[in-house]
Amino acid sequence: MQVDFHAREITVKLVYYGPALSGKTTNLQAIHQLVTSETAGRLMTLETRDDRTLFFDLLPLTFAGGQNLQVRFKLFTVPGQVMHNATRRLVLQGADGTAFIADSQKSETKANQQAFLNMRKNLQENGIDPDTHPVVVQFNKRDLPAVRTDEEIDRLATRGREPVFKAIATRGVGVIETFIGLTEITWRHLESVHQLHDKFGLHPDEFLDTVRERLGIGRAAE
Amino acid sequence: MNDGAATAKSVDIALGDIADLQDVVDRDALREICRSFFDLFNLSVRIYGGSGKLLASVSEPVELYQYLQELESGGKLVGDIVDAVKRLVPTGNEVERHETITGAVYDVVPITYQGRGVGRFVIGPFVPAELEQVPKALVRLDRSVDRMKLRDLLMKMPRVREETAERITDHLRSVIDLLLFSSHRAHLTSEMHVASVRESYRELAEKTAKLQSAYDRLKELDQLKSNFLATVSHELRTPLTSIIGYSEMLEANIAGELNDEQREFIGTIHQKGNQLLGLISSLLDLSKLEQGVMRLAPQPVDAGGLIEDLERTFAPHAHKKGIDLVVEVRGELPALNADPLRLKQILANLAENAIKFTPEGGTVRMVAEATEWEDEGGDFGAVLMGSTREAVAFRISDTGIGMPSAELERIFDAFYQVDGSSTREHGGTGLGLSIVKRLVDAHGGAVTVDSKPGQGTTFTVTIPEAES
Repeated sequence: MQVDFHAREITVKLVYYGPALSGKTTNLQAIHQLVTSETAGRLMTLETRDDRTLFFDLLPLTFAGGQNLQVRFKLFTVPGQVMHNATRRLVLQGADGTAFIADSQKSETKANQQAFLNMRKNLQENGIDPDTHPVVVQFNKRDLPAVRTDEEIDRLATRGREPVFKAIATRGVGVIETFIGLTEITWRHLESVHQLHDKFGLHPDEFLDTVRERLGIGRAAE
Repeated sequence: MNDGAATAKSVDIALGDIADLQDVVDRDALREICRSFFDLFNLSVRIYGGSGKLLASVSEPVELYQYLQELESGGKLVGDIVDAVKRLVPTGNEVERHETITGAVYDVVPITYQGRGVGRFVIGPFVPAELEQVPKALVRLDRSVDRMKLRDLLMKMPRVREETAERITDHLRSVIDLLLFSSHRAHLTSEMHVASVRESYRELAEKTAKLQSAYDRLKELDQLKSNFLATVSHELRTPLTSIIGYSEMLEANIAGELNDEQREFIGTIHQKGNQLLGLISSLLDLSKLEQGVMRLAPQPVDAGGLIEDLERTFAPHAHKKGIDLVVEVRGELPALNADPLRLKQILANLAENAIKFTPEGGTVRMVAEATEWEDEGGDFGAVLMGSTREAVAFRISDTGIGMPSAELERIFDAFYQVDGSSTREHGGTGLGLSIVKRLVDAHGGAVTVDSKPGQGTTFTVTIPEAES
């Protein structure tokens, strides 16, 4: 996170991580389509080859936090291919929260695990403690055959601390929910570390309601 | 938590942010945009960076201002207008309209990028199309003012309708935004290229350092191995000398007459003792050669005499095995400067092998001939690089079992034998050729091998004449 007290501006970095071809870029594209241009800036795609990300995609979102405060979110994707690890590590620098986009297909189980371990390692190498770093997991491609069943995912989800979301990013299903879930745990984490409420008078619940409202989703049923 | 203002870099890779328009956008591009904007709408335009620096501007002198400046109190007035416009920094994302006493206005438009203000542009002065009359305040400015002229000049200024002004500012805004976006992307891409290369280099450097330390450790172990070999060989030799010495004395009946059986046994002890001594000496030689502590005692050597000497040594052995030993000295040989003992050791080793691997009725041929020393590098630039040194080539060929070509590269490695079973069948330690190779290297020479399975093997040792 970067804070500019003078300009009353908070910038939060969220990274979409995951194995190759799991739909990280598709997530950003879907958010870009679903969110009004008032909130989302242009989606920037940096260097692709054969439609595969080489560096990263970047989607900026801006929310008003009240009292002239600007809260900017920068959504990044990493390149998923194994060989781009140096770039992945660079992109993960200074991440405040991470959405891990997993491929629901059973055949991709191993790739998911390896990418997750790789994320863990790269977080550590960037001086970020994986045990406190806010992470949500999205099981994408729910519409494909031979995927893990909902029951399986729900059962596994109870074992971990990470909130789990299911999505079909190509159709925009579950994408906003994942983003809001990530924003929520990230913001609460930042609040507990930096006391943004005290410093900027921005109450976490109020802010999260603002985000939900702007993204066209009512208060999440609890 | 970082204080953004304090740590702001031109482009921040971690956040992919820019702090100021001027950090990423090419000034010439901005100027060209201003120029085409001016050509299209006949409106003056100025673009400022986030820090307030003027980045590009296209305008023409305002005749009204020129006239006002001729008036007594007009000069200050114009200065104040220009200053006020310069100082005006709109907050938020809305266009700020600055109205002046002349009735002309300026539109100050913030340039925001990814939710952050990075600069502004100013359009004007222009006169709103709705303005009909010269504002009273302007007329009252000075007594000497020419009302008609004021009106003329005011009406000469560009006139813009409200909604047109909006469309024009929107247009320029989106042009600048697009320019910013593509510049930012190009900028980030190049930064990422550099950062990725640097990161990969760092990774490689780390791995290289690890490999280097593993390599150093291995070299150290290798050195330890050589030391160990040298020490053990040396320590083994001492008691062995006693065993050989005493068995020799026993054989010579110094301790009394031996019966035939005892003589045979002692003879075996003596013979095997000598064999063991030979092996240990080879090990010692090898370790000395590996450590580079083997000292050669070079002196002029007669190569022809050397090979004839070898013939005398090996003729009985060959004869006993039913092998034809042919020795040839072809032509006049150059004088060599070599260690005669070691050179003899080289050739003896090869001769012994040749006899060992040649079946009964075969031929072992030893040839010494003059040749030209060939430096490495072949014929590339030979006129400059080639040497004119002569050399002696010793060729030792047999008609033995030969070796497959794949094995030829490895036969000079220590302890290597083409077929493990040959040690049992033919004896030997697998040290001979590695010692040969190292001794030849120590003489600055070369050893090569040529072999065909079933047809025999030829070893060629080339020793160059002393460098003049």
